[in-house]
Amino acid sequence: MSNPLGTLRSYTPAAMTAVKTPPRRIFSAARTYISELWNRREFAWYLALGNLKARNASTTLGLLWWVINPLLLAGVYWLVFGLLFDRGTLDLSRGTETGLPFLAFLLSGMFPFFFTQSAMTGGVNSIVSNTKLLANLHFPRLILPIAALLESTVGFVASLGVFFMIVGPINGIWPGPWTLWLPVAMVIQLVFNFGLSTIVARVAVPFRDLNNLVPYFTRLWLYLSPVIYEAAFVEGKGETIEFLFRLNPLFSILELYRHALTGVDINLAGSLTISTLWAVGFAVAGVTLFVKYEGKMARYL
Amino acid sequence: MNAPAIVAEGITVRFRPMVDRKPTLRRSIGRMRHRETQELVALDSVDLTIYKGEAFGVIGRNGAGKSTLLRVMAKTLRPDEGTINVYGKASTLLQLGVGFNMELSGRRNVLLGGLAAGLRKSEIDEKFDSIVEYAEIGTAIDRPVRTYSSGMFSRLAFSVGMALEPNILLLDEVLAVGDESFRAKSMATMKELLARAGTIVFVSHALPNVAEFCDRVMWLESGRPRMIGEAEAVVEAYQTEVRQQRAARKG
Repeated sequence: MSNPLGTLRSYTPAAMTAVKTPPRRIFSAARTYISELWNRREFAWYLALGNLKARNASTTLGLLWWVINPLLLAGVYWLVFGLLFDRGTLDLSRGTETGLPFLAFLLSGMFPFFFTQSAMTGGVNSIVSNTKLLANLHFPRLILPIAALLESTVGFVASLGVFFMIVGPINGIWPGPWTLWLPVAMVIQLVFNFGLSTIVARVAVPFRDLNNLVPYFTRLWLYLSPVIYEAAFVEGKGETIEFLFRLNPLFSILELYRHALTGVDINLAGSLTISTLWAVGFAVAGVTLFVKYEGKMARYL
Repeated sequence: MNAPAIVAEGITVRFRPMVDRKPTLRRSIGRMRHRETQELVALDSVDLTIYKGEAFGVIGRNGAGKSTLLRVMAKTLRPDEGTINVYGKASTLLQLGVGFNMELSGRRNVLLGGLAAGLRKSEIDEKFDSIVEYAEIGTAIDRPVRTYSSGMFSRLAFSVGMALEPNILLLDEVLAVGDESFRAKSMATMKELLARAGTIVFVSHALPNVAEFCDRVMWLESGRPRMIGEAEAVVEAYQTEVRQQRAARKG
């Protein structure tokens, strides 16, 4: 080595120095971060896959549980609302001629809702339950909430399969042209969930109590969202109430799913606009909050 | 002198003690903002250069900042002040089995641990056989890791850690891995690394090991380097002081 300094290559990301990054460098720092993230994509994927596998590793039915869980859930709600409360068919003649069977109506909101719920639960734990990784290895921390999100996405896709398996044979609702909106709704919700889970992941690091609060929050959120009732339910409650209900990001996202899964009529343009705005807003806020905080995470663990 | 492998300048890390930060709702809402918390300085402007081909030891009492220093070098902890530059591919063995999932098979965990450490899947697939062979795991590789003996677990974890083929190895008291023969083998691997102009930073309480294995040693005391120099001299100075203090307490 005649000129050792010439061959040195620093692996230090700009963020490792305590010196504040000047604004001009933020853009290139973001690029570095994204490329680092992209380099580690296999890590995120296999981490998610490993957790999916491990979760039911010691059960007899194993991976089948990803299908059985939503099936059982559907069964419970069909029993409670379909039989006990006898809400066989909802008078939703919007789009369907015979009205929408309640089970189909319920599941078309329930499964997407649970996607956001599990994304939130997974996000809360994604950092605080991986202290060993954080304390030992240097990698873009965003990998962890992303892996958790991948996990809940797999669960959601399985539950969508269950949805079509149930509502087709039982309710006679088969995919139609409206089903083309399903990928759109999924992408919007995925972006929203990503933002949400990064926010809760970041907040849970100094504020562990969040983990205990999330179940109550999601329960409340379930009842404030048009899952067991239809969107029209709030429309008759006065302008202020309706406005407040519509502020709920899940309101328009669930509307999109209702249309994409069952074909009922909705205000498509409105729901698309509002849900996209929420999704992008949450994602930007989440990533900003999260990445800014990354360097400090290790000392809270 | 060789080229530097790790250059630390004015590294300062402060922690606020847990009690003051205990995150409860009332405190978060309340006066947390303007509360004076008592700061604990884990590292106090540490300047340090570690060179290629060097085995560098860090000794000191519990809480002297040894592990914090390693975590700064591993870039899992951003210093409050100062800069750290690491020239090369660093592998951290601060704990064994990082990224492992006990429910999954050894095979799966080689992949997970390797990906966590920064390898690509194609690289891991390529090295898989040699990793398993080095770890002396045999057919147990397809059993869940939770069924492994602690020796098997450590061997596999160490083997995965070395698969990164690091030129800088950050070790935290994991030299005592496995049985006598595996320890000799891991020692040989590390000597090889040094011979290839690699660097080893080694934190330990096992002073004889440090004196024997390291070229230079730093004695950390309350976050400050008390002494940096030739291994045996520093270890001896440290031992002398510990002995004196113990005697003073008794007397």
